[in-house]
Amino acid sequence: MSTSVGSHVTDVLAGFAAWLGKTPLFDFVAGVAWVVPALQTVHILAVAVVIASAAIIDLRVLGLVERDQPLSTVFQRFLPPLAGAVGLLALTGVLLIAGEPTRAIFRVVFWIKLALVATAAALTWGLAAGVRRWPGALGGDRSVSTPLKVAAASTLLLWIVVIVAGRWIGYAVAWAGAPQ
Amino acid sequence: MTLAALTTWLEATPLSQAIAESAWLFPTIESVHVIALTLVVGSISVVDLRLLGWASRDRPAGALIRSIVPVTWGAFALAATSGVLLFTGKPSSYAANPFFLGKLALLALAGLNMAGFHLLLGGRLEGLTGTVRAPAPIRASATASLLLWVGVVALGRWIGFTI
Repeated sequence: MSTSVGSHVTDVLAGFAAWLGKTPLFDFVAGVAWVVPALQTVHILAVAVVIASAAIIDLRVLGLVERDQPLSTVFQRFLPPLAGAVGLLALTGVLLIAGEPTRAIFRVVFWIKLALVATAAALTWGLAAGVRRWPGALGGDRSVSTPLKVAAASTLLLWIVVIVAGRWIGYAVAWAGAPQ
Repeated sequence: MTLAALTTWLEATPLSQAIAESAWLFPTIESVHVIALTLVVGSISVVDLRLLGWASRDRPAGALIRSIVPVTWGAFALAATSGVLLFTGKPSSYAANPFFLGKLALLALAGLNMAGFHLLLGGRLEGLTGTVRAPAPIRASATASLLLWVGVVALGRWIGFTI
């Protein structure tokens, strides 16, 4: 990020990181050694809920699991835990950032991950809306339309890429000009 | 072969050296490991929560297990393979890490719990429809499974901070 816009973004984020570093939240997360691994454990467990719920929803659309269950029922069962787990991911994510303010937010892959989460979530709820309007959703109909199947496969793939991007935050280096 | 001999032998293999020296191989295998293990834990939780009567209550337990467990096994095979590859990259570091050894112990217990469930309790699943409460041994096994897998995830995360 060598442009003036880039350095402005860095300045704003650096100000935010400096402010975060002075909050009691920072003291709480960074002050005790076990808090960060504990938060990461909860974060991973929430990822497990998201990916398993998404996999069951998307594989059901593809006709690979829960075939004798109506599509609408599968969405009703697995969309609420998926949404709750995304909320828990946001909460633990914010706390992890508060504990290490100069880490994730200065890495490009973190912002890519956030954009991917937004896209995957929008696709998941779009799929739910599409299924609600489709009359076959209420029965045990196995003949799901091809566009719906493509959307389901893409959605699951996106959630998987989110996990990869998340793991890469730990290995990526901060962009030039980021605070140390 | 002792554990020390195994790790020394592994470290000399070209595969171990390739994983240890590459900048991208270890994080790539780790990503696969996280995808696979979250699928394992998430899909097992779906079954355990059903057995405890906390979710999917309208779905007969036996039918749910037959539909979901193949996904769990596929993901487990991937988690185990990627886990072995991660171990191959730094064998002596992992072998000396108490959290790694604890994780293996919890995995063994989770496996025993699952084997016991299928061998001893599998036949009692068919009546589990609607709001019928599962027999106590089934609920105990489901609770143990949930706790063991949370423990596996926690110890796995702790390895990352201590290795």
